[in-house]
Amino acid sequence: MDRRGFLKFAAGGTVGLVASPIIWNTLYDAVYWTQNWGWIPRLKKGASEYLPTVSKICPSGTGFLVRTVAGTPVRTIGDRNNPVTHGAITALAAAEAELRVSPARLKTPLRRSSDGAYIAITWAEAERLLKEKMQAAGSSVAAVSGDPTSSINEVLSSMLNQKGSSDFYFMPGDEQPAALAWEAMGGQGRLGYDMEGSDCILAVGAPVLESWGVVAANRSLFNRTHPVGGEATQKFLYAGAVQNNTAAGADLWLPMKNGTDMALMLGIAHLLIKAGKKGFAAGLGNFAAFVEAYTPEKVSAITGVPSARLEAAAKMLVEARRPLVIAGSALGSGGSAGPVMAAVALNMLLGSVNRQGGMLDMPFPVSVVDHATEYRATIAKRFVDYTQSVAAGKTKAPAFLLVYAANPVYSLPADAGMKETLAKAGFTVAVASFMSETCAQCDLVLPAALGMEAFDDVQTPYGSGRVTYALARPVAKPFENARGAGELFIALAQELGLELGVKDMPELLYKHAYALGAPFRSMMEEGKVHVAGFDLPASPLFYNWEAIRLAASAPGAEGDLQVAPVVVLGMGTAQTAIPPFATKVVTDYQLKGRYSVAQMNGATAAKLKVKAGDLVRLVAGNNVEITVVAAIFEGILPDTVSLAAGLGHTAFDEFSKGKGANVLALTSVCREPGTGLPVWGLAGVKAARA
Amino acid sequence: MEERNNTTTPANAAKKCCCGWGAFVVGLVVALILGWWVLPNLMKETKRQPIAFSHVEHVQNQGMTCEQCHFVRADGTFSGAPTTAQCAECHSTILGNDPEEARFVREYVQTGREIKSEWLIYQKQPDNVFFSHALHFGPLAELKGPAEVSAFCSRCHLNVAETDVPPVYRENRLSGYSENTMLMWGCERCHAEHMAMGNTNASNACFTCHK
Repeated sequence: MDRRGFLKFAAGGTVGLVASPIIWNTLYDAVYWTQNWGWIPRLKKGASEYLPTVSKICPSGTGFLVRTVAGTPVRTIGDRNNPVTHGAITALAAAEAELRVSPARLKTPLRRSSDGAYIAITWAEAERLLKEKMQAAGSSVAAVSGDPTSSINEVLSSMLNQKGSSDFYFMPGDEQPAALAWEAMGGQGRLGYDMEGSDCILAVGAPVLESWGVVAANRSLFNRTHPVGGEATQKFLYAGAVQNNTAAGADLWLPMKNGTDMALMLGIAHLLIKAGKKGFAAGLGNFAAFVEAYTPEKVSAITGVPSARLEAAAKMLVEARRPLVIAGSALGSGGSAGPVMAAVALNMLLGSVNRQGGMLDMPFPVSVVDHATEYRATIAKRFVDYTQSVAAGKTKAPAFLLVYAANPVYSLPADAGMKETLAKAGFTVAVASFMSETCAQCDLVLPAALGMEAFDDVQTPYGSGRVTYALARPVAKPFENARGAGELFIALAQELGLELGVKDMPELLYKHAYALGAPFRSMMEEGKVHVAGFDLPASPLFYNWEAIRLAASAPGAEGDLQVAPVVVLGMGTAQTAIPPFATKVVTDYQLKGRYSVAQMNGATAAKLKVKAGDLVRLVAGNNVEITVVAAIFEGILPDTVSLAAGLGHTAFDEFSKGKGANVLALTSVCREPGTGLPVWGLAGVKAARA
Repeated sequence: MEERNNTTTPANAAKKCCCGWGAFVVGLVVALILGWWVLPNLMKETKRQPIAFSHVEHVQNQGMTCEQCHFVRADGTFSGAPTTAQCAECHSTILGNDPEEARFVREYVQTGREIKSEWLIYQKQPDNVFFSHALHFGPLAELKGPAEVSAFCSRCHLNVAETDVPPVYRENRLSGYSENTMLMWGCERCHAEHMAMGNTNASNACFTCHK
């Protein structure tokens, strides 16, 4: 074959190859071959299991099923067999499998070196350091816990009590003001709410479908009582300044100015008494005389709620067979006791106390650890009083301060004195799962296992109407070098020679289950949740009208605009920050670029001479200034701006750090008249275009 | 010069042209044989399923439904092929005369060996593709009978519902993937062209499938 013949042969061959699928198939295969590169993550294959347990990072202790593949958690889903949640799951609990391997997850014990940087140390070193520092501190030890539902608190309080310190605290939450209010009205036990048994619920300030109480149970109840396309079997009313998800789901929304909860409820009390609802108890006459002045017109002027809507709400409560009134704060902390007292008074007028569908006098969780402080006593203590006192030099700073499952540096106002307390304390320890703002200020940071990685429990969360007990079981190995906090504290107590009466976490959990008559074995092996019965005491409730009058005299926040925070669990908590899994549900109405979004209605925007997308400077009474992006939303009252909580972190990971502003920075601690409770639920700001 | 001129005569030109077409045709035929038959077979390794499972026997003769083995779990994940334990719900002992069934009971059920981990998946996707069967099962509820269901499933899968022995599995030696693995254009028939199979309204954003 000559040269020309060869070229023609080659041309024929080329045409033949092009006309065959080999080139395209080879290209396809090359595409798939690129998926074999070593650096591409591989899925772990193996047996799939669904293991029931409870979330310890979700404030309402959501029960869920952890799906594991070859022993690794890959997903959490609602558990239909859970008697509390009935298959519902919160956005935070749904992100827990991904949070387990979040970039902010603490992997190993860290000790702060002399130049401020953290160095990784072994658990043996960490334990030696803990023991030495705690021993050396003597009775000058303090601890705060951000997880009030856990038995681990008993271990901590027992250790402190045996060391001679009574400085064990819970982080501020919705329960502290409620407990104070309930006691002030004569309640003897723990305040509970039988939402399931009620046919008409009025929630004042408490976003029950977003962040208040046992959210998963609340939402599950809402789904069951408001079937799609069917008749609602429960009336649901909400009073709040923002048309949030709770307001959107409500049968009647009372658009109420921030901080006017008490006036609204006293106005409703006025209407209820007029309608003949006069549940008798001591002090009724004085209370009725006090609320006489809260006419619909006056209340409408104070709260901004049209009087017709106020009357409609009162009518719905009067006509309901088992009405229930709930009060709470939007932020979930820093709320006042006054609104809860007013809510108790409303329930008393309606005869909705200690009966089905009403407020309940429930038993407090019991303590089973030797020398532990009772739950009731711990919930009555005020952490912010302590930190402010230490910061002001009135109380000696502790030589050893332990922060467990909490992030007070982020979640308390700047003037709460937390930073100063940490700076003044001799040695500070954070036991946490994620590298938070508080961890970043502690001398020793210890990685705690999540609920799905260790033994723990959930005792009746606040907001429930039933006594429940659930176990957190280790359905997966702890991430990297993390360790169960309960086991860590028990081992530390044993090292220090302190008596707890339990040798490990399973024994502690067993004792709790036994005290409640719960079937420990099936709880441990099958993840069953126990619901215990309890006797309703005949509480000598009375209308503490004097305390209500004092609380009602609290001044509102100063400033041109009221700040209405919106808390959604999809944005995480102070301990978790925004779960990486949930970043796609953070909308442009919450965060725009690196700025928080301030939603306001058209009238407010016109007053401020801003339009959607403009940068706005908000200056709070404490002189803190933040820059936000304006957005227009007509579901907000005039002279009010709504900001999403959970932003503005300075720690954690790329998904949370430097994103937006912390709404708590705009708040300041003040004292509630009468109770003296430290409160910071309200913030007023001056605004100007940036 | 004379000779050079002679090469351009019509007679010479016709002779050269005929020889050239012959080489072209030979090249074409060789390439077509290579491209359609030799190379594809060289590049693919033929494999067989661990057990010659008969869908015909189970569906048509025993009256089983597809959902008894292939179902969506409560969390939306798809069960895929059944496990040895699931098969053993019926085949705990040898039920018939089929030697393959006897081998399955002997080698898998009685030893606890997991058939699912050995089963070859014709449409196995790379790990970076997040495919939810649950989301694609919308029209299933409206389908009537196994024939319609298998026609629906075979839009993406091989139609195995009417086979007595599993199809041959051909694995590419270069990539290690099955030759039946669906490429992205297959997904985009619906995700990019919403009306291709009825209005699916499927998103074509990257994160819809790639996490």
